[in-house]
This record gives sequence, structure tokens and C-alpha cells, in this order.
Amino acid sequence: MRNLLNFLARYNNLIIFLLLEGFAIYLAVQGNDYHNIRLAKGMRLMTLGVEKNIAKTRTYLNLYSVNSKVAQENIDLRNRIEKMNRSADHLFISYTDSANNQQYTYTSAEVINNSTNRQKNFFTINKGKKQGIDVDMAVISPDGVAGIIVSSSENFSVGMSLLNIDFHLSARIKSNGYFGSVTWDGRDYRFAYLNEIPLHVLINKGDTVLTTGYSSIFPKGVLVGIIDSYEKAGGDFYRVKILLTTDFRKINYVSVAGNLRRLEQSELEKPYK
Amino acid sequence: MINSIIRYTVIFVILLFLQVLLFNNIQFSGFINPYVYVMLILLLPVEIPAWLLLIICFFSGLTVDLFNGTPGIHTTATVFSGFIRPYILRLISPRDGYEAGAVPSMVIYGFRWFLVYSGVMILAHHFVLFYMEVFRFTEFFATLLRVILSTIFSIVFILLAEYYRRGR
Repeated sequence: MRNLLNFLARYNNLIIFLLLEGFAIYLAVQGNDYHNIRLAKGMRLMTLGVEKNIAKTRTYLNLYSVNSKVAQENIDLRNRIEKMNRSADHLFISYTDSANNQQYTYTSAEVINNSTNRQKNFFTINKGKKQGIDVDMAVISPDGVAGIIVSSSENFSVGMSLLNIDFHLSARIKSNGYFGSVTWDGRDYRFAYLNEIPLHVLINKGDTVLTTGYSSIFPKGVLVGIIDSYEKAGGDFYRVKILLTTDFRKINYVSVAGNLRRLEQSELEKPYK
Repeated sequence: MINSIIRYTVIFVILLFLQVLLFNNIQFSGFINPYVYVMLILLLPVEIPAWLLLIICFFSGLTVDLFNGTPGIHTTATVFSGFIRPYILRLISPRDGYEAGAVPSMVIYGFRWFLVYSGVMILAHHFVLFYMEVFRFTEFFATLLRVILSTIFSIVFILLAEYYRRGR
């Protein structure tokens, strides 16, 4: 007993260190798992007040570029309405059931917290379960792919950014149709990599890269980026460097796409995986 | 006693705000992310009991984690640097030892001593921090490069802050 007390007295600092360090590592392992960021969500709620004010200021400073983008989008939409009206006139269509063919629902949201300078970046948006946002929905910025929702509370959701070394996305080169998976290497926030493109494929710099829609999370044909350069990687594949069209440093307003038939598709595919 | 508690709380709040509002947004080429809040751990008195030092480190790391949304990563790094601090202070102690109630600062022990002290401490902190963050050993040297570059930048900022304190 005396020896035990002596031992404890002698090594008490080491013991405190091991206890605290063990707890910290436990937090890190628990909290940073891909699908298990509940702890992070709880912590986020505590600091949300400060973050909201920071986000408000940022939004104000970005108004100029946001305005011009909205104006451009308005013009695009107006053009589209014009085209639709015209085709309806020509084809004598008076009634269309729009819900019957709808596969994706879109909800607009604002990014209120975001990071680009870590290895595993996440962002928070100001809509949650009450507004119909749920896990595994796709987040799309006006310029292209932004991320995937990994957790949502009543009024907020946390999304895994494309700038996360755990992020995987199925994408294809538009000009020749070959597809591979897009990942980020944790270095430059402007570039990502398209892997597993076979060596016989002819790759042109400046080609666009689009999502495939295979994962049933992202709709087909969303812009990912533009091919910047490519190199041979190990075996029989090219590793293609993509310049991302989304600027993650000033991402602000996003739309969240939910696939209405995702459950049906994944249910059907389940036995073959 | 009360006085120094208030002083260190004020220092910590200022460093935390600088970290969250300014330094978290600094990014050169994805390799340099300075973390200056470590300065709090550097500036605590020399004779602080080791258990108190560890607990202060734990809670300061936890606070930074809360604001960064990265549970545990900064805490691991700060607790580790708090653990090795007494050993480093003993290794580089001046010839006639530390005075009673001394604070590690550039004014008292000179520029070279402070550079070595802060350099070793920040390198240890950043080493644990960045490897905890990626949590894998593939691309070992890319992470090591980030550790070294970020350490240099953190040291520069902390030395500047120390000069400013000395100037007042």
C-alpha cells in the first residue's frame, strides 16, 4: 500500500498526462469519423453564435460579386422560361405532371461556417431537417460541386467539403466519357485529382469534368472542374489534375439536391454489393 | 495570484480571437497554417506545478477545438507540449537557474534563449497537431513539410508579439 502511494506520488504528473492525453485522443477518434460527427455537431451549436456574426459580416463584404452572379443567373433562367413557353406553344401541350418525372428536389441555403485550410474540411449551412435537408444530400454551388451533407439538426446541417481527404466522388471527362473517382490530396484548395483514367484514353487540357450520377447522391452532369494537367500514376492509370470551378474560399450561397429515388435505387443494388 | 489569473485569462482571450478570426483564415499554398495560441503555454510562469500546467493546456486546447470544430486534435497537441515543457525548461536553463516567480520571456533571458525555447515547444506542438489531423502515415514527408513551414511562421508571429510586449 505504501509502495503504491509512493509510486503514485512519484509519477503523478505522468499519470495526469496519460489520462488527459488519452481523453483527447478518444475525442479525436470519436469525433472525426466520417459518419460519426455527432460530437462535433453538439460543439458547433455552442460556438454558433460567434460564427453566425462572422458569417454575417462576410456576407456583407461579398455582396458585390454575389449580386452580379444572381443577375447572371436571372438572365439564364429567363432565357429558359422563354424557350419552354415557345416549345409548349408549338406542341399544343396544355398539361404536364411535373411531379411525376421529378427526381431531384433543390433547396437553397447559405454557408455560415466554412474552412479550407485543414486536411478534413467541413462547412455548416443554415438549413436543417425542418427545411427538408438530410444526410447524404448533395451540396452544389453556383459554379459546381461543393460537398455532401454528413449530419443535420433541426435548423442547421454540416457538410463534408470536397476539400476533405476522405471525400470521394464519381466523375467523368465530358469529351470522351471515361469516368474515375475525384479525391483531394490536402494541399491546394483550387485543385483536385481524377484517378483511375486508363492509359489509352486521350486527355486534352481544358476538357470539362462532370459528375456521373452513379452514386445516386449527385445529379448527373454537375460541373466539377477543368483538366489542368495529367501524369502517369503507378500502374496503368493516369492521375488527372483538375482545376476546381468552385472557389471554396468565397463559397456563400449553395443549393442542396436531394434524390427522391435514392432509397429505391440503393435498395435494389444492395444484394449485388 | 488573482492578478496573474486575470492577466493570463486576458492573454488567452486575445490569442483565441486572433487565432479564430485572423490566423485560421491564413493560407499560403495549403502548407502554412500558423497556430499562435500556443504562446499562452509558452508564457506561463516557470515554477507552475506540472499538474496545473497540464490542466490549463487541456482546457485551452479544448477551447480552440470548440471554435475549430475539431474535437480532440488541438487538445492532444497542447497536452503533449504541456507535458514536455518542464523538461525543456530544465534542459536549457541559464547557468544560475531560474529566479523565484520567473516568467519565460525575451526581456529577462534574451533573444537566443527565447528562440530556442519557443522553437522546440512550437515544433513539438505542431508535430503532434498535424499528424493527429491527417491521422495516417502515407505522404509522411508532405505532412512533415507542413509541420516545419507552419512552425517557422508561428515562431515569427510569436517573436513579433513578444517584441511588442517588450516595447511597452
